[in-house]
Amino acid sequence: MENTVIKIENLVKRYGDLIALDHFSLAIREGEIFGLLGPNGSGKTTTINCMLSLLAFDKGSIEIFGQKMTPVNYDIKKQIGIIMQDVAVFNELTVYENIDYFCGLYITDKAERKRCVMEAVEFTGLGEFLKFYPKKLSGGLLRRLNIACGIAHKPRLIILDEPTIAVDPQSRNKILEGIQKLNRMGATIVYTSHYMEEVEQICTRVAIMDKGKKIAEGTKDELKRMIKNTETITVEVLGLSEAIRNEIVQLPHVYRTEYDGERLIVFCSGGTHNLIRVLDVFRTHEIRVGRVYSELPTLNDVFLEITGKELRDRKGDSHVLS
Amino acid sequence: MFFHDLKYFILSQLKTKNLIFWLLLFPIALGCFFRIAFGEIYGNLTQTEPIPVAVVEEKDNPVFRSVLESMQGSKDRFLDPVDMDEATALDQLKNNTVEGILYINDKLRLTVAEDGLEETMLKKFVETYTLRETILTDAALMHPEKIEAAAAALSKDCHSVAAVSVTAENTNNFTQYFYNLIAMTALYGSLLGMQICFNNQANLSALGARKSCSPISKAVSLAADLTGAVLLQFLCMAVCVTFLVFVLKIDLGNRLPLVYLAACLGGLTGVSIGFFVGSVGTVGQRVRTGICNAVVLLLCFFSGLMVGNMKALVARFVPWLNEINPAAVISDSIYCLNLYSDYRRFGEKLAAMLLISLLFCILGIIMTRRKQYADI
Repeated sequence: MENTVIKIENLVKRYGDLIALDHFSLAIREGEIFGLLGPNGSGKTTTINCMLSLLAFDKGSIEIFGQKMTPVNYDIKKQIGIIMQDVAVFNELTVYENIDYFCGLYITDKAERKRCVMEAVEFTGLGEFLKFYPKKLSGGLLRRLNIACGIAHKPRLIILDEPTIAVDPQSRNKILEGIQKLNRMGATIVYTSHYMEEVEQICTRVAIMDKGKKIAEGTKDELKRMIKNTETITVEVLGLSEAIRNEIVQLPHVYRTEYDGERLIVFCSGGTHNLIRVLDVFRTHEIRVGRVYSELPTLNDVFLEITGKELRDRKGDSHVLS
Repeated sequence: MFFHDLKYFILSQLKTKNLIFWLLLFPIALGCFFRIAFGEIYGNLTQTEPIPVAVVEEKDNPVFRSVLESMQGSKDRFLDPVDMDEATALDQLKNNTVEGILYINDKLRLTVAEDGLEETMLKKFVETYTLRETILTDAALMHPEKIEAAAAALSKDCHSVAAVSVTAENTNNFTQYFYNLIAMTALYGSLLGMQICFNNQANLSALGARKSCSPISKAVSLAADLTGAVLLQFLCMAVCVTFLVFVLKIDLGNRLPLVYLAACLGGLTGVSIGFFVGSVGTVGQRVRTGICNAVVLLLCFFSGLMVGNMKALVARFVPWLNEINPAAVISDSIYCLNLYSDYRRFGEKLAAMLLISLLFCILGIIMTRRKQYADI
């Protein structure tokens, strides 16, 4: 079995009456890209801050690399790289100076440090901007500088707390590719985000958080198997009668449909050839259809189904049949 | 690790426009403003040329004569008395060769041609002498055996009245603005002190959080940043004093190295206050900087930066405030240095500054050394 890098047990953190973390447990194995997924306020950043011993917690325990994490456990801290949600660099220092400063907090040998800094610069593609000040950098470059400052010392564990907030799609892709590359180079990654597609794209295992609790954990496939929906079929069709919709709901594996007058959405649970069966209904009744899509469930569907938010949305939706 | 942190703290602060403005440009600009505003008065008050005065001896007065003689032997003399007859004296007064005529008789009399600063100083001198002479006369009547000692004292006093009370004291009315300017610059060191907290406390900034996650110990980090802040503040104080003395030609006395010492210790006080203010609470950097600026200006207001006689008013109505107001303590230290020949009061002020610095540093360290936060 792979080594456990982070082990959190029964973590409880309260802010007054608000419970930010409610008996939260987690185990992250070496070599993983572990995604911590949840909406804003779900407790992701609180978990990270507790992990890093920045935040005092009320109950529970945290072990990193088999040792209890404390504010003065510098042996552990040396092996961690942190990329904060907010860009944490000196505005008065150049790109090179910033990376050199943070790298110097971990590596005292000047020659080694210089080599590490240049490698981080190359990795993040900041070579052309070494003498630039952060204020002169675009949002994407600034995020890359933030990452370079966190990884220059070649940490074994890298924690990224929503590193792509307010980043354009192109820079976001580069950041995500960089994270995967770091993982291939041997680093264990903890990645928090509320962008489901990002987590789905890069993470090998995912924990879904809501209201301070872990509501699900596993690989992407494992999580998707947890939910009822396995396929969502969308058909563009006008003037669909109630009878036809009822017929579609009666099809095997179809458990629900939604229709807004222009698009019919068919939710299926299990089975194969669902799309063919739905299209057969339209063909039989000689109904012309527009575009047709078939989508497998995403982590977004997993999250929506597990957190019950979809159930709340349905209260005001009169077009839902099940 | 210490020197690495120190190097980058100094480098980053040297490039911080806000600090350069408040610690260098603003005091220099204000100093220039004061110099222009008080320029003429200041120039007159700090004149080193003695005032030419004609002495017409209508009656022998050995006591006053001894006062004049003792004054002539002094390098700080402010009078240049020349004996002449009345006609010549009037003629020279008319030609502005002399600023006044002193008639020596039973009572000392003064004649001046016009109103002016020199004439005012002469009048003050005559008033002072007359007052002392009355005291001497009374002493002679009541204690004739001590008349010689009293005469010697009178002679000495008059000399000191001329050198200190008339010249130096009036100068202080304006020079104290510059003392307070130095105090203000020193207290703006609080901005540097606050920066230490922003760089080290995870609950105040992302930078602080990142640094707290690194393997540098809080003690080393704080020590490096405090050292950097104090060194930078010393530099700013040295620039400020040098600019005042050598560019604006402000007379801060003959003991300039001690003025630098007082200014630097004042800077230490400023940094320590900022360090303490920065370590308390979780208010943001902008708000905290605003509060700090306001507090510095308020302290300087009570020490007389904006209103010349404010310190005297404070001393009269709330005397304890001058003892605990860092701005007043800093400006007083330089004032004492230039007013008193001994070092006792100066030493007391330096000790007070050190005490304030120590107190705030200890409190700041106690607050900042916290390893974990309840809220970030």
